[in-house]
Amino acid sequence: MVFRKDDIIVNTISRILIPFIQLYALYVIMHGHYSPGGGFQGGVILGASLVLLLLTRGYDETRLKIPENSMKLFASAGVLIYAGVGLLCLFFLGNFLDYSKLAVLLHVDPAQARSLGILAVEIGVGFAVMAVMYSIFLDISTGGVLAEDEEEE
Amino acid sequence: MNVMTVLSVGFIVGGLFFFATATIGLLRFPDFFTRLHATGKGDTLAVTLSLVGLACYEGFTLTGVKIVCIAVFMFLAQPTATHAISRAGIKSGLQYWRRKEAQK
Amino acid sequence: MTTFLLGIGLILCFLVLLVLYRVVFGPGVFNRVAAISAIGTKTLIILLIMGFLYNRVEMFIDISMVYALLNFIGCIAAAKYLEMEK
Repeated sequence: MVFRKDDIIVNTISRILIPFIQLYALYVIMHGHYSPGGGFQGGVILGASLVLLLLTRGYDETRLKIPENSMKLFASAGVLIYAGVGLLCLFFLGNFLDYSKLAVLLHVDPAQARSLGILAVEIGVGFAVMAVMYSIFLDISTGGVLAEDEEEE
Repeated sequence: MNVMTVLSVGFIVGGLFFFATATIGLLRFPDFFTRLHATGKGDTLAVTLSLVGLACYEGFTLTGVKIVCIAVFMFLAQPTATHAISRAGIKSGLQYWRRKEAQK
Repeated sequence: MTTFLLGIGLILCFLVLLVLYRVVFGPGVFNRVAAISAIGTKTLIILLIMGFLYNRVEMFIDISMVYALLNFIGCIAAAKYLEMEK
């Protein structure tokens, strides 16, 4: 179990800094094609911000705001976006993940459609990585016992 | 020589001086809490001065504003980390250094 | 200006080697955690100076910002774990 840290300085600074860390992670995801970054790196920074929230607030308070079931939804949604974009390209008579065929759907030229397709895929990867990092930290810190199993006993 | 170049050189040399004194303090002080004084305060000031100097060299572009953002973040986060680790040291019960031990 | 920045970078690398003594020989784990945080701070400045030397500052700023974030979070996680050791 991860208990609440009873330190007022670290709690206040975490409350101020966590939204800005998440904003920076979204910037890293969006600028993946131009500067170092992309889907996986932005997902890791998002996951690290959630781990900081767990460390300073404790397990009981954070579980009310960010339950484990919502993280299962996020991971599945990320993979669904990735595979969904690929299958959508199949519908328009192209190969799997052939983004240039999406130009008909978005009313742009094929080079622009490739860029937008890669952006959509990176967003899916970011969701999945954030959810998996949060789940792994919860698994290791609680010893594999979810809260629902504890209440049943 | 430009005014901004001279100013940036001055800031960076000041930052290097504080880095050197913080490192010498980390090596030579007798106890863990005194070493935290050296590295917590000296490193924070040195990083802020160095980043402001590099931002002066770059000018008022997007890159310069981003360097100032890094400096503000380090100014807020580094003392918090020092406070957290020193509080952990007190709760673990480390021994303080007394002056009488050195005079034996 | 590039020669000046190169000299500053080399002196900072030498200071990192000096702090490495405290990482290896520090009695106990607390000294090692404090020294790792100091090494991370110096690495941040070395990264930015390398960006200026290669004339590609935009690439290296994002990397150094991420390193500052991870250094902060790692130090707080280590402090929380060591607090519950007793």
